[in-house]
Amino acid sequence: MGEMEQLRKEAESLKDEITAARKAVQDLTLQDHVAGTAVVGRVQLKTRKTLRGHLSKIYAVHWGDSKLCVSASQDGKLIVWDSYTTNKVHAIPLKSSWVMTCAYAPSGNMVACGGLDNMCSIYNLKGKDGNVKVMRELAAHTGYLSCCRFLNDNEIITSSGDCTCVLWDIETGSQKTVFAGHLGDCMSLGVAPDFNTFISGACDFTAKLWDIRDGQCRQTFGGHESDINAIGFFPNGNAVITGSDDASCKLYDLRSDQELITYQDSGIMCGVTSLAPSLSGRLILAGYDDFNCNIWDSLKAERVGVLSGHDNRVSCIGVTPDGMACCTGSWDSFLKIWN
Amino acid sequence: MDELDETQLKNHVDSLKQQLQFNREKTSVTIPELTKWIEEKMNEDPFLNPDVLKDNPWVESSKCVII
Repeated sequence: MGEMEQLRKEAESLKDEITAARKAVQDLTLQDHVAGTAVVGRVQLKTRKTLRGHLSKIYAVHWGDSKLCVSASQDGKLIVWDSYTTNKVHAIPLKSSWVMTCAYAPSGNMVACGGLDNMCSIYNLKGKDGNVKVMRELAAHTGYLSCCRFLNDNEIITSSGDCTCVLWDIETGSQKTVFAGHLGDCMSLGVAPDFNTFISGACDFTAKLWDIRDGQCRQTFGGHESDINAIGFFPNGNAVITGSDDASCKLYDLRSDQELITYQDSGIMCGVTSLAPSLSGRLILAGYDDFNCNIWDSLKAERVGVLSGHDNRVSCIGVTPDGMACCTGSWDSFLKIWN
Repeated sequence: MDELDETQLKNHVDSLKQQLQFNREKTSVTIPELTKWIEEKMNEDPFLNPDVLKDNPWVESSKCVII
C-alpha cells in the first residue's frame, strides 16, 4: 500500500473512531429531554427603524455596542450608524468596493472590512483630526476575505476563501497564527464569549472549533449537506449554531462533541445566509435566500415567527449585545432594526 | 481528501488523532445544563419578555408636539 493510501485509510478509521466516541456519550437526546416543554408562543417583531443610505447590496452588518452598528455594501462604503436616530456617524469610502464582511472592535475604536481584495483593512474611528483613515491593511490571504472579528484593538481573526483562518497582530500587520485544516473555502467565523476559542464554517460542509492560542483544531462538526454560510456561538459559549446552503441550521453541543438538533422545514428550500441567537438562546433568527428571516424555537425546533419586509435576500443579521433588538441587512440596500 | 498532498494528508491524520482525544461529556449531563441555562435566561430575553422592552430605545417615547 502506498503512503498516501495508508494515510487515507488511517483518516477514515479515525473518523469512525470519533463517530463511535460520540455515540458512546449519547445517553440522552435533546428531543427526549424537552418532550414535555411547550413551544414558545408566536414571536412578532416589528420594524422599528429602516437605515437608508447604501446604494447597493448590503453584505454584512456588525453591532459595536447596543446602539452603533457598522454595515458594508458593494457600493464601496462602510457606514457606521446610530441605530436610535438612524443618523450616519461615519460614511467610509473603501478602496475596493467588493466588500464581503465588516466588523466593529469591542472597544468601539476601530472597524474592519475586506472581500475580493483578499485583504482585511482596519480603520481607526478615533483619529486625532476626526477623519477616519485606513490604519492597517492585513494582506497575506490568497483568497477572498469572507469574515473578520476583532479580539481586541490589536488582534483580529479573519476567514478566507483560501481555506484558512488567520490571527493577526494589527500593530505589525503580521500573521500570528494560521489555522489550516478546512478542505473548502472558509465562509464565516465566530469568537467564543471567553475569547479563548473561535469557530469557522466552510464549504467543506464542516464547522471547526479552534484554540486561539495554540492554533489547533479541537473539534470538527459535520452533518450539513452543503456549504456552511453562517456560524455563531450560543450565548453561553457551550454550543454552536450553523446555517447552510442545504436550507437547514444545526445546533452542535461542544461538551459532548455532537449535533443536537436540526432546524429545517420541508417548506424551506433555499439556503441560510446568516444567523444570530437571541439573548437567552431560546430563539434563533436565521436569514434566508428567499428574502425572509425565520425565528426558530431552539429547543423545540419549530418556527415561531418570521421577519418579512425586505425586497431581496437577507444577507446578514445581528442581535445587539444586550439582546434588545436585531438588525437585518439585505441585497435591497436597506438595514432594518426589529424588536 | 483526494486533492491533498502527502504533508497535508499527514497533518489531516494528526489533527484527527488530536480531535479523537477530546474529553467528551455525556449528553445526560450537558443537555439538561444547556436547557437549564436557556430557561433561566429567558426571563431577561427582550424578545420573549415584553416587560424588558418597556423602555424601547428605538421607539419614540413621547408624542410629537405642535409648537
